[in-house]
Amino acid sequence: MLSRGEPYGAARRTALSDAADAWLAHLLAAAAAGDDSGIALVAIGGYGRREMVAGSDLDVLLLHSRKRGIAEVADRIWYPIWDDGVKLDHSVRTVAEARSVAADDLKALLGMLDMRHIAGDVGLTEQLRSTVLADWRSAATNRLPELRESALERDRSNGELAFLLEPDLKESRGGLRDLVTLRAVQASWVADVPHARIGPAHDRLLDVRDALHTVTGRSTDRLVLQEQENVAKELGLLDAIALMRSLAEVGRTVAYATDITWRRVDQVLETRTRRFRLRGTAGKPAPRTPLADGVVQSEGEAVLARDADPARDPILVLRAAAAAAQAGLPLSPGTVDRFAATAKRLPEPWPEAAREELVRLLGAGRPAVAVWEALDLAGVMTTLIPDWARVSCRPQRNAVHRFTVDRHLVEAAANAAALTRRVARPDLLLVGCLLHDIGKGWPGDHSTVGATIVRDLAPRLGFPEPDVEVLVMLVIHHLLLPDTATRRDLDDPRTIELVANAVGTVENLDLLHALTEADALATGEAAWTPWRANLIASLVEKTRAVLSGTPVPVSPGLTEAQRALARKGVIDVHIGGPGARTAEGTIVTVVSPDRAGLLATVAGVFGVHRLGVRSAVTETIDSAAVTVWTVHPEFGSPPDAAVLRGDIVRALDGSLDVGAKLERRAASQVLRPGIEVPPPSVSVVPDASESATVLEIRAHDRPGLLHRVGTALAAAKVDIRSAKVSTWGAEAVDVFYVVELDTGLPLDEARATAVRDSVLEALD
Amino acid sequence: MKLVTAVIKPFKLDDVRSALEKLGVHGMTVTEASGYGRQRGHTEVYRGAEYVVDLVPKVRLEVLVDTAESEAVITAIIAAAQTGKIGDGKVWVTPVESVVRVRTGERDAEAL
Repeated sequence: MLSRGEPYGAARRTALSDAADAWLAHLLAAAAAGDDSGIALVAIGGYGRREMVAGSDLDVLLLHSRKRGIAEVADRIWYPIWDDGVKLDHSVRTVAEARSVAADDLKALLGMLDMRHIAGDVGLTEQLRSTVLADWRSAATNRLPELRESALERDRSNGELAFLLEPDLKESRGGLRDLVTLRAVQASWVADVPHARIGPAHDRLLDVRDALHTVTGRSTDRLVLQEQENVAKELGLLDAIALMRSLAEVGRTVAYATDITWRRVDQVLETRTRRFRLRGTAGKPAPRTPLADGVVQSEGEAVLARDADPARDPILVLRAAAAAAQAGLPLSPGTVDRFAATAKRLPEPWPEAAREELVRLLGAGRPAVAVWEALDLAGVMTTLIPDWARVSCRPQRNAVHRFTVDRHLVEAAANAAALTRRVARPDLLLVGCLLHDIGKGWPGDHSTVGATIVRDLAPRLGFPEPDVEVLVMLVIHHLLLPDTATRRDLDDPRTIELVANAVGTVENLDLLHALTEADALATGEAAWTPWRANLIASLVEKTRAVLSGTPVPVSPGLTEAQRALARKGVIDVHIGGPGARTAEGTIVTVVSPDRAGLLATVAGVFGVHRLGVRSAVTETIDSAAVTVWTVHPEFGSPPDAAVLRGDIVRALDGSLDVGAKLERRAASQVLRPGIEVPPPSVSVVPDASESATVLEIRAHDRPGLLHRVGTALAAAKVDIRSAKVSTWGAEAVDVFYVVELDTGLPLDEARATAVRDSVLEALD
Repeated sequence: MKLVTAVIKPFKLDDVRSALEKLGVHGMTVTEASGYGRQRGHTEVYRGAEYVVDLVPKVRLEVLVDTAESEAVITAIIAAAQTGKIGDGKVWVTPVESVVRVRTGERDAEAL
């Protein structure tokens, strides 16, 4: 296929199609040797739509009405194409055969709906086209549900174009296949498709696909991370972020159009069956029940009342949105369009009614997401809250996040709606959730930047000064609880003190707790496991005790049975026991004579058995060390307890070399190319504890990481008092509370730096 | 030494065997296989749905030969297996490090 230096766009695609047409027409003329009656070459599918991109194949149908001799003609057309290495998707059929295939195979039908005559007997093509379209229209009532089912199935397995890190331009929801589905619905004459927005979205998607094929040299449709920068440059965009943002907008536009269209189809099909059944009531207008001042419900949607005028009532948009969401209804597209045309900034500070409606909207929970989405796509939200523009369609680069920033914020607020009973000020919770990541997209730490934005925004929204302070606290500390709970020793009073000082009051603590949960649920599945929830709950409980003046309950620590084991001075491994199988792992207690490298060795055994370590706490009694681990299997079911026990014992007495085993495994693992991994970082955390030095290690997770770190620490002659291990996606964050091996005191500055350096060296 | 592998249409097996016999190649391994190439298994006059890829029955032939003979063997296989129609298959050559005859322990050239 000719590869042109033309810029991307519809003209280029049309030029490619025209070139293909000319070639095929020439081939047909040669093959038919002058007599092309009863044969036609027809372009179908993407080729029929003139959407040729660099990696496209030719989708061609050889239509004929001949009884004999068609095989030879077909040979003379296909072989030159095959021999030239051009990808061909072909079929040879009579009109009747094609009609029958269309009736049975939905995918083939979709391709044929876009058929276009290339060369030969045009009457034949027209005959097929009119037959197929007529069949489709008459069978639409029965076949549209089938089409919808297959579309839903495809969406479920392919994710959403707008939010995926590496979307499939064709198959994801909001992608090219959805656009083809919309064309099919349009062609069925059952419902109308919103054209105005779809056109530009379709063009953009095809341009990106074209650029992707050109850049990779293949016909893949998955926009992988490592190609995003190249594709962006190819299209003349600033960088990968600009590309993904533009795609997010496209994806949401198409997904929204798909939703509206199917709603319309439902309405029409429902009316068709209704009209058939209730002949007497035919002709009466659909009932409209009032929802709020200026808003009525009609046919399953929220619609503006006949006398409502959004131009004179600027709060109407929020009122309508809140009413719709509270009733669990979507806003009708016509209503959204009217709001888009008349939306304007509210007087600042916002009137109380406006703020109340915003809170009512967010408080509706899940239905609020769809309503917000509809208004956001129309640009209304950015008009009302200009600070929203920066996070709109902004992609997240962290694989832990499911959604773009703006959708994440709305999802968090929707999640918080279920938690409002736990807090004294539901409005602050909902608005805090909506704004907690508003600092993303600006340089710097997004919590700090977000706080600055909210300090300016909240008064403009009409919140009084004390409320503004609470909102700022929520934004600046929205990661405090999960960070502290998973990386700090909760038994150390200093830890609780830090949290209590940041939060200030019990009411604020409750707000922050609820916000943390709502935020995590809106992030992704890994972010709110029962393990994390329990840790955070424990932290909150301790902080509440400090804030309300009651003494902090101390953790039970080791049981009497465990201490008894330690005094015996024997290596003992105890797996399980009463209450040992917690939500996220099994508790393994290892008792052995204390010595350097104990933690590293046992961690190594766990690594060999592919057990991920969640946490580890050690206590030394006389000369024995008791370490309590929480582990979970990385794949499948946990290993046999006896085998695990035996290996730990052998590793500790030296007959099993775990280090070597882990090295071998790491060497034989083939690393996936792709994301560039930042180098590991080791830092000394100041002020985190009075009785130990706290080291925080962040590195890309790999087998034996914990073992390596433990070995390095042992070599540096420090004793590990306790360790907290977390994994976020593929990144590990390990925190160690260490003291000098000989004195048991925290390290001084020089020593801390030296230890940090040696651990960093061990990680490279 | 080389391993010459060919994937051909099943009905052409006898023709290929005769051609190889004439060249002095007496041993081979034959397996049943299925596959498709660029044409996705579709015949020239294909009526079914476009998006289907069909696995078509083939035969896979493997012969161990001296490096000097590999070209002649390829030519012979192609001449015998070719029909000019889609689906004729492919022939390829890979290097072999060593060959041993199981019964006698002969190696390399003697084992061919």
